[in-house]
Amino acid sequence: MEAVEEDPRELRRRFADWGFIESLPPRLREALKYYIETGDMYVASRIAGLTIEEFNELRIRANIPNVA
Amino acid sequence: MSRSFAIADTCFLIDWARYRGRDLLFKLYIVYVPESVLREVKSESTIAWIASKLASGDLALFTETESEVEEARSIMERSRRMPNTPAVDLPEAICIVAGRRRGYVVLTENRGALKFVELAEDYSGVIIHRSLEILLQLQLKRYLEPDCGDPALRFREYEEDTKHLFPRKDLLNAVATIRRELCGET
Repeated sequence: MEAVEEDPRELRRRFADWGFIESLPPRLREALKYYIETGDMYVASRIAGLTIEEFNELRIRANIPNVA
Repeated sequence: MSRSFAIADTCFLIDWARYRGRDLLFKLYIVYVPESVLREVKSESTIAWIASKLASGDLALFTETESEVEEARSIMERSRRMPNTPAVDLPEAICIVAGRRRGYVVLTENRGALKFVELAEDYSGVIIHRSLEILLQLQLKRYLEPDCGDPALRFREYEEDTKHLFPRKDLLNAVATIRRELCGET
């Protein structure tokens, strides 16, 4: 069982595949960084220009956990 | 057993669409889906699941009125003025409004929504259920068979399918309840 009692932002930062994130076009890259910092998937999806479901798929590809 | 009416936000619904036991949700609720949530779904598999459940009556479409959207915008503004509270976005705010006006259980993982109903006295009657509580209830009601050899298993399956991590403390409490109530441990 993964320990998730620590700061969700730290968990998102630690698990994230930064190589993948940095390889993305600016809009998607900055949206993922915003999500890592805030955990707000709705706004992040708008930055990315994606629906929430599409952004969630991108989040999973970037190995960023949804901590809640 | 009569099911409760609930209303789901986008993140909750797309997580459940990925979960291997997704149809178990309807053992507990008839779930309203706001039109604004439906617009956020794009994948064929999720749309197929939602359409089939709308057809069977397990899901129902919730069309927001202007008045509800106006109240939701007010919730968004109030949440932004609350210190140390994540902002509530429009989809979750719509669900909170339906929770207050219609008595629907709000299905969301959104921390802002949880905090808002905790702090806003006029919304204190709104009930929010997260996936963790739903998975616990499903096991307590025996719709989902617990594994007493590994009482965390059912929660871990959800985490694996959705890449959603539950807060450790809440998860340990839920596992302790399974051990105590279903596995005969003291």
